[in-house]
Amino acid sequence: MPFDVVLGGILSPLFIASILRISTPIILPALGGLISDLAGVINIALEGIMLVSAFTGVIVSAYTGSVWIGVLAGIVVGMLYSLLLALFHLYLNTDIILAGIALNIMAQGGTIFLLFILTGDKGNTSSLASGAVPTITIPFIENIPWLGTILSGHNLFTYLAFLFTWLVSILLYKTPLGTHLRAVGENPVAAETVGINVRRTKTIAIALSGFFASLGGLSLSMAYLTLFQNAMTNGRGFIALAAVFLGGRTPWGTTIASIIFGFADALSNQLGSLAIPPQWVQMIPYVATVLALVIYSIRRQAKQRERLRRFQEGEVKSSGAAEAGTD
Amino acid sequence: MTPLIDMRDIVKVYPNGVVANEGVDLSVEKGEIHALVGENGAGKTTLMKILYGLEQPTGGEIIFREQALEVRSPHDAIDQGIGMVHQNFMLIPSFTVAENIALGEEPTKRGLIRKRKAVQEVEELSAQYGLRVDANAVVDSINVGMRQRVEILKTLYRGAEILILDEPTAVLTPQETEELFNAIRSLVNQGKTVIFITHKLREVLEISDRVTVMRAGKVVGTLPTSEVTREGLASMMVGREVLLTVDKPHKERGEPVLIVNDLSYVSGDTGRQVIKHISFNVYAGEILGVAGVEGNGQTELVEVLTGLRQATTGTAHIDSKDILNTGPRNVRMAGVAHIPEDRLTNGLALLGTIEENLIVDRYFRAPFKKGISIDRKAVTELSDKLIKEYDIRTINGQVQVMSLSGGNMQKVIVAREFSSDPKLLIAAQPTRGIDVGATEFVRQQLVLKRTEGTAVLLVSADLSEVMSLSDRIIVMYEGEITGVFPDAASLTEEEIGLYMLGIKHQEVEDMEVVL
Amino acid sequence: MKKIFQSSGFRELLRVFIAVAVALALGFIVTMLVSEDPVGAYKSFLFGPVSKLNRFGDWIEESITLIFLGLAVVVVFKAELFSLGQEGQMVLGALVAGSIALFVPLPAYFLIPLAILGAMLAGFLWGLIPGYLKAYLNANEIVSTLMLNFIALKIYEWLLTNSIKPEDAGYTASDTFPVEGTMSSFIPPLPFLSEIRTLFMNQTNISIALYLMVIATIVVYYLMYHTPFGYELRMVGANIKFARYGGVNTKRTILLAMAVSGIFAGLAGAHVASGVHRKLILNITFGLGFEGIVVAILARNNPLLIPITGLAYGYLRAGANVMERTSDVSREMVLVIQGIIILLVTAERLMPMIQERIKVRRTQRNDIPPADTGVTPTEGGD
Repeated sequence: MPFDVVLGGILSPLFIASILRISTPIILPALGGLISDLAGVINIALEGIMLVSAFTGVIVSAYTGSVWIGVLAGIVVGMLYSLLLALFHLYLNTDIILAGIALNIMAQGGTIFLLFILTGDKGNTSSLASGAVPTITIPFIENIPWLGTILSGHNLFTYLAFLFTWLVSILLYKTPLGTHLRAVGENPVAAETVGINVRRTKTIAIALSGFFASLGGLSLSMAYLTLFQNAMTNGRGFIALAAVFLGGRTPWGTTIASIIFGFADALSNQLGSLAIPPQWVQMIPYVATVLALVIYSIRRQAKQRERLRRFQEGEVKSSGAAEAGTD
Repeated sequence: MTPLIDMRDIVKVYPNGVVANEGVDLSVEKGEIHALVGENGAGKTTLMKILYGLEQPTGGEIIFREQALEVRSPHDAIDQGIGMVHQNFMLIPSFTVAENIALGEEPTKRGLIRKRKAVQEVEELSAQYGLRVDANAVVDSINVGMRQRVEILKTLYRGAEILILDEPTAVLTPQETEELFNAIRSLVNQGKTVIFITHKLREVLEISDRVTVMRAGKVVGTLPTSEVTREGLASMMVGREVLLTVDKPHKERGEPVLIVNDLSYVSGDTGRQVIKHISFNVYAGEILGVAGVEGNGQTELVEVLTGLRQATTGTAHIDSKDILNTGPRNVRMAGVAHIPEDRLTNGLALLGTIEENLIVDRYFRAPFKKGISIDRKAVTELSDKLIKEYDIRTINGQVQVMSLSGGNMQKVIVAREFSSDPKLLIAAQPTRGIDVGATEFVRQQLVLKRTEGTAVLLVSADLSEVMSLSDRIIVMYEGEITGVFPDAASLTEEEIGLYMLGIKHQEVEDMEVVL
Repeated sequence: MKKIFQSSGFRELLRVFIAVAVALALGFIVTMLVSEDPVGAYKSFLFGPVSKLNRFGDWIEESITLIFLGLAVVVVFKAELFSLGQEGQMVLGALVAGSIALFVPLPAYFLIPLAILGAMLAGFLWGLIPGYLKAYLNANEIVSTLMLNFIALKIYEWLLTNSIKPEDAGYTASDTFPVEGTMSSFIPPLPFLSEIRTLFMNQTNISIALYLMVIATIVVYYLMYHTPFGYELRMVGANIKFARYGGVNTKRTILLAMAVSGIFAGLAGAHVASGVHRKLILNITFGLGFEGIVVAILARNNPLLIPITGLAYGYLRAGANVMERTSDVSREMVLVIQGIIILLVTAERLMPMIQERIKVRRTQRNDIPPADTGVTPTEGGD
């Protein structure tokens, strides 16, 4: 297929809309990863929490016949699962990485195990009639050419992803809780001295991170797809962490970085026809994250060196005057 | 007038037996600036930590506003209007000044922080007390003086009426110190009470109304500042009988082993010049003692000489090779051994065995390295030998170091460093925090090495230790060498005290002769 | 005798034992709830791997891979580096080994050793990258190794799909390796062993990797406890400030630790490619990377215990596979058991004696004190 046709395909509103759709299950857990990382409790278990919530939502909605009860159940169970991380790390002194790995393994196994028991099928829950969270068409906007396709008609979760990005940034930078979360992550000793309960704050951070990871999982199994599939998260919990770092650990940065990952994913499908291997496109965000890590580290070191040089220059200049002053 | 704070007969004994406060009485009047002075280890910070609730007294009571007060935690203290500014700042680097000051007590409206109100409140406080800060500046980018003012404003923001300042001028330049003093005067003019811990006598005279002198856990006296002189204070702080008698055979010193020239160090964090162009030699067969109150650059001097920090200017030659800025391994290969000030952090790997801790400076050389592997038998032989030689109380060398007592841990370090047969031995606070027996032992070993011909650089805040062990003594004050005493035995503690506290300063030409 | 029971090593072992027992008990309870024949199911779980030769083979083969991975993890964890990069190093090792096996025309004596060496080199280089980033730029090794895992998997996928897969293949996999490129059976081709050899070769793929595994274990042990490099690595892990003070080049040690760890992960890759599957398939490393971490945790980072925990952990996995094939319980239950084991073993608070180690680590790393203690550490003096 000629290049310009593919390019046209990429710039088409449908494609851009698909990017937003594909990025949603990355943005949501990434927000959770951001909150926990800023509070100093990096959440490796996002993947597992997503699986747990995705599964719970499907099962509960199928058995109760109600989409919204399913969603609620998914969120509650996901958050409870994330609180296990808090329990083992903050109260039983397990290393947070190891606890996260354990939770991921248990979620992976537990969901498939229960899947098999409940449906007799290890692949997915297609035999169950689980609910779908609705897509939303915005009445006036949907009629705008080009923009309308991009902005309207998305699933609720997609809109929530962007709404929550905004809300999370308000939480982190404009509320006492968010400020305390960031303080605890940066200098817990200092936070303790002003009366902030570090352990409680970190627990809240983990619970919030579980909340967003749960939404992320539900957005996979109760939106465009209405079933739970074996390992359907496909590493998104880890991609979400990468997005946090790639985005410079800020809410909008994280979301944009998540979209970059989503973009790469969507693009890789399109470019298949151009004899550009999809893997190369898929690789781009990961390479970008490594580069970002390198750049941040180099900049940090350069800043320190610069500061030292500034001080030393000041020293040299004033050393003539410094001889006086003792008596 | 009844005092605002009346601490009566305060006793503090730590679980390891150290008596930090022994029957201390301190009374502070409302609206005064009260200086609390003493050397390191005098007990002044402990006393203030008790007042602020960071420590609990073993005995005694606190009467506050004529009522008995129990301060179980800093929160209790803050509730009573007592605020403390520590030596280590408790700030969040990426937050602004206002955010740091308001942390934990942010003004809110409908759940959202009212940033402008916080800034406004900070600016008002700042203007009211003359504590100049930029409310919107990020703490990471402001200098130390302003950071300290932020800490002070933090206490004021929480309604402190009494401020405890712990060695506030330790990190400040002279100009910043002046600013601080103006702010303190302003605070007091507006009804606050300030307790000021320091060992800088010049400052005591300049700013305080009354001064309490502590020494070795007890109060020596409390006087109105108008009635004291620096010399008088110094003798109260320092005067005591020298209890130690160490057998020190006469030794002619040899050639200079370490030649330090024009050494400077500027801190990368604070920008302060910590070491100011000092030069000195250390000769074979002598113990050169560095006397001085902690915080005058001695720690950094040791770290620079041992390769743990980068010097800003200057050279330090051993055998015509400059060891500065070459890293710890090169320094050790040049024949330097180092007993570190902070033995738990640097000097030992607590989770390692005694054997493992003993070979860190020689595992890559024969006889411990044979071919590509480590000769474990040789290691065990060494460890057994050293355990016996240095009387380390342990079952064997495979025991983890963390199970040893403090004194025995220090012996492991001493055993390692001494047995490396160094040309130059740098010992920083070598007997701090260890039992009497181990202390005696370490001191004897230092003298032994010196008599065998090793050059020893001894840095110690324990003045009697420095005086009884050293052949020569230099005094460091505010990063400079202010005095050299080639004949340590003839000195009195009062005399040295005057130099340690910056009251006296030898002429540079006089010093050069004997450095 | 009493000393043995009181030693910390024994108590660690006891703790692992208890954790496994508890987890297995919980697993049985779950099995009772879901299975029509819980006893039968659990029996096949517990005894399955030794009931038939091919199942036995599966157990041993998978354990060998896990042991290589566990050794790789021990090397980095002992240096207090949280490198999670084993999966990426492994897949590249598999790629190189497989490519050499498929495309390099050499006789067997050269081909297999070359493939193995190539895999080791690939793992080494892939570990060097995050090692450099951590050592010289202080870049977070968790993120960098996770990213490099993804990148490595994509590289593998691309090459497999585009270059290595034969044109006419129905699904994404390479050709089966030529015999010279596969690891031969672990039973030597001696006349009096020929019957057993044929038996094993028909039913299992247990290969000379078994001996490689033993050698690797000894090598890691020796490296860590008998060489200067191992000493440096352990001291950096125990107290990096001490190591620096003593003169160790800590940056170089970190760099090499991550790279050397990659060697063993690469070996794991060579094994899965040339020993187990004998061809390159998609998802050849599926999730095994993290399982290596579990094996290392269970062995408490002691290289000599890795073969034991590797075999034990592999046994759990193999048993679960058998259970799934012969009963109505799916093998994923074992993953839940694994998770419980990890949590119980690593929850330091559950074994009070370990508290001391935590406190010590915190002093030596200038860490935050535990949340429920006072903020400022108390000390004597001033």
